[in-house]
Amino acid sequence: MIELRRVVKKFGTFVAVDGIDLHIPRGQLYGFLGPNGAGKTTTIRMLTGLYRPTSGSCLVNGFDVQRDPLDAKRAIGYVPDQPYLYEKLTGREFLYFIGGLFRMPSPLVRAKIDEFVQVFELERFIDKRAEEYSQGMRQRIVLSAAFLHDPQVLIIDEPLVGLDPRSARLVKDTLKARTAGGLTVFMSTHLLEIVEELCDRIGIVKDGRLIYEEIRNGAAGFRGQLEARFLELTR
Amino acid sequence: MRELLLAANLRARGFLASVSDVSARGLLKSFSSVAIFGGVAVGVFLLSRGTTEYLLEEARIGPFLYHRFLSMLLYVFFITVNVGNMIVCYATLYRSDEVRFLMTLPIAHEKIFLLKFVDNFFYSSSTLTLLGMAWLFGYGSFYHMPWQFYLFTALAVLIPFMLIAGLAAVTTLMVLIRVAMRVGVRWLLALVVGAYAVAVYAYFRITNPVQMVQNVMQHYPNVNEYFGYLDAPFVRFLPNHWVSEFLYWSVLDDGVRAFPYLFMLLIALATLVLIAWLMARRLYYDSWVSAADALAGRTERWQGRGVRFLEFGREPWLPGRADVFVRRDVWMFLREPSQWLHLGMMIILLAVFVISVSSLEMKTGQPLLQAVTFIVVFLFNGFLVASITLRFVFPAISLEGDAFWAVRSAPVSLSRLYWGKFAASFGVVVFISELLAVLSIGLIRDNATLLMLSAVCSASIALALTSLNLGAGAAFAVYREKNPIRIASTQGASLTFLLSMVYLAFVVGVLVIPLHTYFERLLKGEPAQGTWILVPMAVILVGSLSVFALSTRIGLRAIQRDA
Repeated sequence: MIELRRVVKKFGTFVAVDGIDLHIPRGQLYGFLGPNGAGKTTTIRMLTGLYRPTSGSCLVNGFDVQRDPLDAKRAIGYVPDQPYLYEKLTGREFLYFIGGLFRMPSPLVRAKIDEFVQVFELERFIDKRAEEYSQGMRQRIVLSAAFLHDPQVLIIDEPLVGLDPRSARLVKDTLKARTAGGLTVFMSTHLLEIVEELCDRIGIVKDGRLIYEEIRNGAAGFRGQLEARFLELTR
Repeated sequence: MRELLLAANLRARGFLASVSDVSARGLLKSFSSVAIFGGVAVGVFLLSRGTTEYLLEEARIGPFLYHRFLSMLLYVFFITVNVGNMIVCYATLYRSDEVRFLMTLPIAHEKIFLLKFVDNFFYSSSTLTLLGMAWLFGYGSFYHMPWQFYLFTALAVLIPFMLIAGLAAVTTLMVLIRVAMRVGVRWLLALVVGAYAVAVYAYFRITNPVQMVQNVMQHYPNVNEYFGYLDAPFVRFLPNHWVSEFLYWSVLDDGVRAFPYLFMLLIALATLVLIAWLMARRLYYDSWVSAADALAGRTERWQGRGVRFLEFGREPWLPGRADVFVRRDVWMFLREPSQWLHLGMMIILLAVFVISVSSLEMKTGQPLLQAVTFIVVFLFNGFLVASITLRFVFPAISLEGDAFWAVRSAPVSLSRLYWGKFAASFGVVVFISELLAVLSIGLIRDNATLLMLSAVCSASIALALTSLNLGAGAAFAVYREKNPIRIASTQGASLTFLLSMVYLAFVVGVLVIPLHTYFERLLKGEPAQGTWILVPMAVILVGSLSVFALSTRIGLRAIQRDA
C-alpha cells in the first residue's frame, strides 16, 4: 500500500533522508519514530508529494507519487504537523473546499460533514472562521478533512498535537476502527504511549536512516521497554 | 532604551546575514536587485534633470513657478508615503507575530510602537526614498550644487519630510482603530477614503495650478522674481511647501531665507514625534487589543448578504475543481478588508483618471505634442494596469498561504491551478485595460486607427503584465505572509514592478516614432500607410508574447518547487 524505494532527500549538502526502504501492507498502522530532525516530516512530505525525492521513489496504492501524483493522492488523506487552514474560511467551508478538490458531490460532502460534526464534536465552532480557532479546533477540522473522501491511506504527522484528552481519545478510537476496516496508516509521532497502544509495526529513524523496525507481537505488544530502547537507539 | 537597541541589533544581524548570502541564487537576486533598482534610480535622475532643464531653459517658466510645481509633486509624494505607511502599518503594528510576542514581555508599549514604526517606515518607504534621492540628484545637478547639499537635504529635509508623513499615518491609524470599535469598521474606512479624496481635490482646487501659471506668466519675461504673495494662505502650513521653499532659496544660495523653512520642518517633526510617543503611551495598547478583539471575531461581522449564491455546498456553476477554487478565492477576498478596500480605491483612481483625460484637447497643430499626449495617456493606462497587477496578481500564489498543503496533497494538478489563476486574472486585467484604452484614447481622439492600435497594445500589455506578475509572484512566493499588501511590497514585488516599468518603456519606445510620423501625416493631410501601425503592433505583440512565455515557464516551475 505504501512503499519507499531507496528514498534520498538532500537539501544542498545536507542529507535529510538517506536511502529509506519500506513496505507497509494494507490495514497496517505504522508508527514512524525518531528524534527531532531525524527526517520524519521530510519523509512524510515526500510521500504526500510536497517534496520531490532527490533519488528513489515513493509509491502509494501502487502509484508513484512523482510520476502519477493525481492517482496516488486520490488514495491519501493527510494530516500535517501544523494544521494550517485558510484563516478567512470557516471550518465547514474548508471541508466543502476539500470535498471539491476530491470531486465529491455536494450532498455527500454535506452528509460527511454532519457525520464529523458528531464524531469530532465540531458543532461549537464549525461555522466560525479559522482565524478564531485554537490549535485543537484546527486539528479536529484537519482530521475531518483527511477522512472526508474515505482515503485508503492516511498519512499523519503528530496526530495528537494540541488535542485535549477527550479529543485525543476520539482520534485514537477512530484510527483503531478505520485500520480494522482496512485503512493503512503511516503515523509519525513522538508519543511512545500512542505507539504502544495503536501501532502494528514501528520504525525508528535517525539521521535520515531507518535504524530499527519491529512488528507488534499480538496482545503482548512490543518487546520490553519501548522508551528505553528508543533512547538507547537514538542516543 | 536597551530593549530597542537589542531589537535594532537583531535586525542589523538579520540584514547582514541576508546580504552576505553567497549562494548562487542569493547572489543572482542581489545583482538583479542592484541592476534594476540602479537602473530605475538612473532613469529618475535623468527624468528629473531633463524636466528641470526643459522647464527652466526651454519653456522658461522661471524658478518660482517651477518650485510651485515641485510643491504639488511633493504633496502627492507626501500623500503616497502617508497612505503607504497607513496601509502597511496595520499589518506591522497590529497583526504581526512579533508584536504579539513583545506584548508578553515587560517592555513599555510606546517602545514597541517606536520599534515597529521604524520597521514599518523602512518597509513601506524604502523604494520611495530611493526615488526621492534620485530625483534630488537630478534637480541638484542642474543647479551644480555641491555634494554637501545632497547629503544635508537628504538627511535633514527629505527623510524628515517622509517621517512626518509616516508618523501622521500611524498616529491617525491608532485613533481610527479605537474609533472603529465604536462606529464600525466599514463606515470608518469609507470616511477615511473620502477624507483622502477630499484632501487631494481641495489642495488642487485651492492652489489652482492653472490660475497660478496665468498669474505668473502675466509678468513674462520677468518670471525669475519671487511671487510668494500668489500662494494661498493655507499652503504655507504644509510640509511640502516648506521643502519646496527650502530648495528654492537654497539653489539661489540664500541660506538665511531657506533656514526658517528647514526649522519649521524639523520643529514639526519633533512635535509629531512627541505627540506620537504620548499617544502611543495612552492609546497603542488599547488600539492593539481592539484590533486583536476584532480579529478574534468579537465584533460584528458581515455575514455575506447579497452573495449567498457563492456559498459553499450550493449547486456548482463552474466545472470541476474550478468551482471550489473560485468560491474560496471570492470569500477570502471579500473577508479581507485590505483587498476590497484597495480595489475600491483603485476604481476611484481609474474613474478620476478617465474623467481628467476626457478634458484633454489633442487637436493641436504640433505632431510631436500630439504623439507625446497620446503616449502619456497610454503610458498612464499601462502604469495603472501595472499597479493593479502588482497589487492583485502578484500575491495570487503567495495567498495560497500556509494552507497550500491542502491543495498540494490533493489530487490537483498544480499547473492547472496556475493556468486557472492566470485565466481569471487575465480576464479581469484585460477588461480593465481595454476599458481604459477605449475610454481614455476614445475620449481624447475620435480616430478608429488610434483606437485599434491602443486596443491591441492594451491587450498585449495586459497579457505581458499579468503573466509577469503571476510568474514572478510564484518565483518570489512568500507563503508565510498573510497580508497581500505586504506581499505586494516585498523585494520580489518591487523588482517585478520595476520590470513592468522596463516593459512599458519598451512599448513606448516602439510607439513614439511611428506615432509622431502618423500625426505629422495627419496634419499635412497625407494618407497614413498601413505599415506604420502594423509594424509597431507586431513588435509589441512579439515582445509581450516573449514576456508571457518566459514568465509562465518560470511560474510553472516555481509552483512545483518543494513547499
